[in-house]
Parts: sequence; structure tokens; C-alpha cells
Amino acid sequence: MASTSKARKFQLERWLVPVLIIGFCAAAYAVSTTFKTMPPILKRGIQPADFPQLLLICLVLLTGLMIWLDPVQVRDRIQGTVWGTMAMMGVFAALAGIDLFLALGVFAASLAAFWGERRGGMLALVGLIVPASIFFFFDGVFEIRFPRGLLTNLWYG
Amino acid sequence: MADVFSGLVALADPGLLILLVIASIGGVIIGALPGLNATTGAALLLPFTLTMEPIPAIAMLTAIYCSATFAGAITAILINTPGTAASATTCLDGYPLAQRGEAGRALGMAVISSTTGGIISVICLMLAAPLLAEAAYHFAPPEYFALTLFGLSMLAGIGDGSPIKNLMAGALGIFIATIGVDNLTTVERFTFGSYELYDGIGFVPVLIGVFGISELLVQASNLHQVRDAVRMKAVRLPTREDLQKTWRTILRSSGIGTFIGILPAEGATVASMIGYNEAKRWSRNPEEFGKGAIDGVAGSEAANNAATGGAMVPTLALGIPGSATAAVILAGLMVHGLQPGPAMFTEQSNFAFAIFWSMMFVNLLFLVIGLGGAKLFARVTLIPTQILWPSVFVFSIVGAYALDQSMFDVWVALVAGVLGFFMRRYGFSVVPLAIGLILGGMLEKRLGQSMVMLDEQWWMMFTRPLTLFFFLLTALALFGPPLWGRMFKQREPMKSTGE
Repeated sequence: MASTSKARKFQLERWLVPVLIIGFCAAAYAVSTTFKTMPPILKRGIQPADFPQLLLICLVLLTGLMIWLDPVQVRDRIQGTVWGTMAMMGVFAALAGIDLFLALGVFAASLAAFWGERRGGMLALVGLIVPASIFFFFDGVFEIRFPRGLLTNLWYG
Repeated sequence: MADVFSGLVALADPGLLILLVIASIGGVIIGALPGLNATTGAALLLPFTLTMEPIPAIAMLTAIYCSATFAGAITAILINTPGTAASATTCLDGYPLAQRGEAGRALGMAVISSTTGGIISVICLMLAAPLLAEAAYHFAPPEYFALTLFGLSMLAGIGDGSPIKNLMAGALGIFIATIGVDNLTTVERFTFGSYELYDGIGFVPVLIGVFGISELLVQASNLHQVRDAVRMKAVRLPTREDLQKTWRTILRSSGIGTFIGILPAEGATVASMIGYNEAKRWSRNPEEFGKGAIDGVAGSEAANNAATGGAMVPTLALGIPGSATAAVILAGLMVHGLQPGPAMFTEQSNFAFAIFWSMMFVNLLFLVIGLGGAKLFARVTLIPTQILWPSVFVFSIVGAYALDQSMFDVWVALVAGVLGFFMRRYGFSVVPLAIGLILGGMLEKRLGQSMVMLDEQWWMMFTRPLTLFFFLLTALALFGPPLWGRMFKQREPMKSTGE
């Protein structure tokens, strides 16, 4: 029973990929029809929409060929650790609004813990020392100004 | 000739030499770490080069390219895990040798083969690139368009994806390059009114995303993998007997690797496979291959390192990347405001030859680093995944931000990372996406210029001999492999039935 539902899920992914690609191409093509058209004297060889439209048509044709000759094959499920890591990336994106380096530190330490690291020293290394040293290195050597936030304000004043 | 030696003068700068040593050591560490390779390393370190002068910046990237390609052999031999895809064939004989207690001999042969392959390819690069650039000096936009199209058609056979999926990934990359204000007409395309999209999607954050962040997600699927390291006493130089047995293989594979590297988009991985197969084909004892043949290590390693110099030929002379890492270096050249192509050898020949000599220096450094430090570098494979990859993520995000100091680029890198992961899951290589993105703008520009030049009569392109030649090569690259595949398939049953 479980293997039937697994096979069904893989079959879904097999068709979902081409459908998504064709859907993307159709939407992008529709958007490209709204581009300004240049008068003949200004168009410099091709209209702004011509090249992307040509590419989208190629992509759809190649998708058709892919379905026929080389369909998407899925052999295994995406593991929970991958979904978890992606979810953490989402949390990182949310926290980055407060402070980029706070988000990086929290993400790095949480990811290390999520992937099985239990030693406190190692968690401090990836969550604290690595982001801090990269921050000071880029700030001091390359004079990169990072976005202001909760922690970076302590340094920038 | 004066240009050749003027480039050598750049190496008299102690600062550049120190930088090359550091970059080479960094490259070896990157190449030795499973999951990280020359392309990812160059993409992650590209933002580091921003504040540098062009010569040290590009020399640093090429040093990482050469040394990371070499270092893949360390993990291939000691833990049966190729540090880079180009070292996959080194595992076949390197690991059995290591299991027999001959890891030092295998690594010694890898060092000598890599150095020889690298040096031969740099000599070819010095000779071939200016000649190719001179030939390309007379190219008009239609020839450039056809040449770029040929370069993109070679994407069909790149990486681990299938030809159709590779072409789809390449087309998607070119499509992404159309986002932003059209340079020819100043019309906004796919910007949706967003200010950040006016200048298009930067290729540096996309490269960081598809190579660095997508690999992090791939690593998340492989957390259960356990690696067994083989003990090694010390790396030792190959014996006279080993050298007598392998010198022909090393020279042949160096030639093969250089030639494969010169072909647009074909890099070290293809070179090492062909180098290994040819070593086996020409061997007096082909049955030893796969069981610990020293020629197997030599054939694979000489070819993959020779491909690095070869790949730089079309990259610098024509602006068409010879491999995925060369594409990142091409991006680096563009970020530094340099335009690869024939003009590089007339207006910036000092720069071009400084890069060539830097590559020569790095290849010689392998002897010191490889023979003296391989045992030490092998220890970096012991860094736990759960420590390494969170740190790589921090580095990736800061690198993506650093180029334009824009949080938008951070989001681009994240999205590109997730997209890259799903592409790889469904059998699409991310390399064509990256190369398509880098070459997309050039392709469209050349097409537009050709249309203006030919009064919008596109079919006139077929009346130009060189353009027609490149179009024929493009057709051959696209349709040749499947046709040959079918022909061979039809012949095999005939053979088996004795017809």
C-alpha cells in the first residue's frame, strides 16, 4: 500500500515538472507581450520582446522533447533534513530583517544542531565565531557596509 | 615575445606570489573537501576579489581552479570520494592502491601527473590563445553570434544532466539574463516595476546560490554517509619504474586534456574520463585497471589538470567559457570591467600573460604542496559536515551581499540555491544555467548587432562562410551524439547476431 502511494507521488513529480515549466513559459510569454514596441528606426535589429519570446518557445519545445525522450525520473523522497534546512532558510530570511548577522548566527548554530552537532564549543564556533570573524574581515579589509540592524548597530554606532 | 615576458614581470611582485601560495593552499583545501569543488570555491571567493586589482584577482581565481582540480585526487585516493567530479576516475585505481598500502605512491603519481598535465596545458595556452584571438579579431557580430551559439550548444554534453535537460537549463539561464532594462532599446523587461530588477539579476549571487547553497541542500540529504579514510605514511615520488611505465600515458592524457579543455563548455570531468579510457586502451595490462593500476591514476590526473589550461583558451581569447569554473572566472573578468576576447591580447596582453605565468607558477607549486602537504590536507576531510556547511552558508550569504551591498542579492542567492537543488533532483545540471546566464546578454547583443548589420535579413547569416561553419558545428554538437548513439545501438545487435 505504502509503495503504491510512493509510486503515485513519484508519478506526480514526473508530470509536475514539465507542467510547471510550460506554465512558467506561458506566463512569461504573456508578460513579454506587454513590452513596449519600438518604432523601426529605434528597434536596433530586434524588438525587445523577440529574444525572450524565442527562448520561451525553445524551452516549451525542449520540454516536449523531454517528456517524450527523457522524462523526469525520481528515485527517492526528499528527506526530512532537506525540508528542515529549507524551513530554517525561511526563518533566516525572516530574521535577516532584524539583523543579517543575528540571522546568520542563529541559522548556522541551529543548522549545526539540527544536523547532529551536540558539542557546545562547536555550536559556538559556527554560530558566533565564524559569522563574527567574517563580519570583521569584510568590514575591515574590504570596507563592506552591512545593513544596519540590532547587532550591527553596536559596531556602527 | 616581449608580451610573454612582460607578463612574467608581474610575478616579481612578492605580494602576488604570497597571494598565489595562499590561494593554492585554499584551493587544495576546497578541492579536498567532499562537496566543495573548484567551481563552488571560485564562486564563493569571487566577492573577495572585488577590492583587488584585476591581475591578483583573476590570478587568485585561476590558482583556486588549478589547485582545487588537483586536490580532488587526495580524497579520491584516500577515502574513495572524489573531492571534485573530475577526480571520479582517479578513485577507480587510486583507492584500490591505497587499500593495498600504496596510498603514498598513488598520491605521488597524482602530483607528478597533475603538474605535468598542468604545465603542458599552460604552454599550449600561451601559444594557442593569442593565435585564436588573432583569428577572432576579424570576426563580425554574425560570426560572434554563431560562435556563442556553438559554445552554448556544447552545454548539451556538460555536467551530469541529460542533453535535453542541459539545453533547457542553458535556455533558462539565457532567459534570466534577459531580465532588466534591455541594453539595445532601454525597454524594461520582466522588472514588474521593481527597482532592484532594473539592472537585471546579477550572476554572482546566482552562481553562489546554484553552486554553494544548492550543495548545502544536497549535503542535507547525505548526512548518513560515513567515510572510511585509509591510513597513509607519506607521499612519495614515483619510482623510476613507475615513470617508465607511465610517461607515455601522462603525455597522452595531457594532450587529450588540453584539447578537451579548449572545446567550449567541456571541462576537466570529460577530460579525465577520456584520459582514463585512453590510458586503459593503450595499456599492455588493461585487466589491471580498476584494481589499482598506477597508469589509471596518471591518465586521469594528467588529463583533468591539463583541461584547466585548455579551458582558459576560449575563455580569454573568445569570451566563451571552456568549463564551469572558467565561466566563474569569466564572470570575474566582467565584474572587474575586463572584456575577454581578441582585444585582450592586443590592448591587455600584459594582463593575459601575467595570468598564464601565474597558472604556471601554481602548477609548479603542486609539487611542493602535493608532496609535502597532502597528508596534512587529507585531514580536512575529517571536518564534520555539520560544522563545514553552516559555515559555508554564512560565507555564501556574505559573499552574495558584498558585490553590490544589496540584500536583494541575498534573496537571489537563496532562491537560486533552492532552484538549483530541485534542478539537480530532477536531473538538470546547474552548470548550463550558470553559463547561459553569463553568455545570455552577449548572445542577444550579437544577435541584435547582426540583424542591424544584415538589414534584418537573418538568413543572410548562412551566406557567411565562418558563420555557416559555426552553425554546422552547432548542429553537429546538438544532433551528432544522439544520431551516433542510435547508429551504435543499431550496430550492436547486428554484431551480437553475427551479421
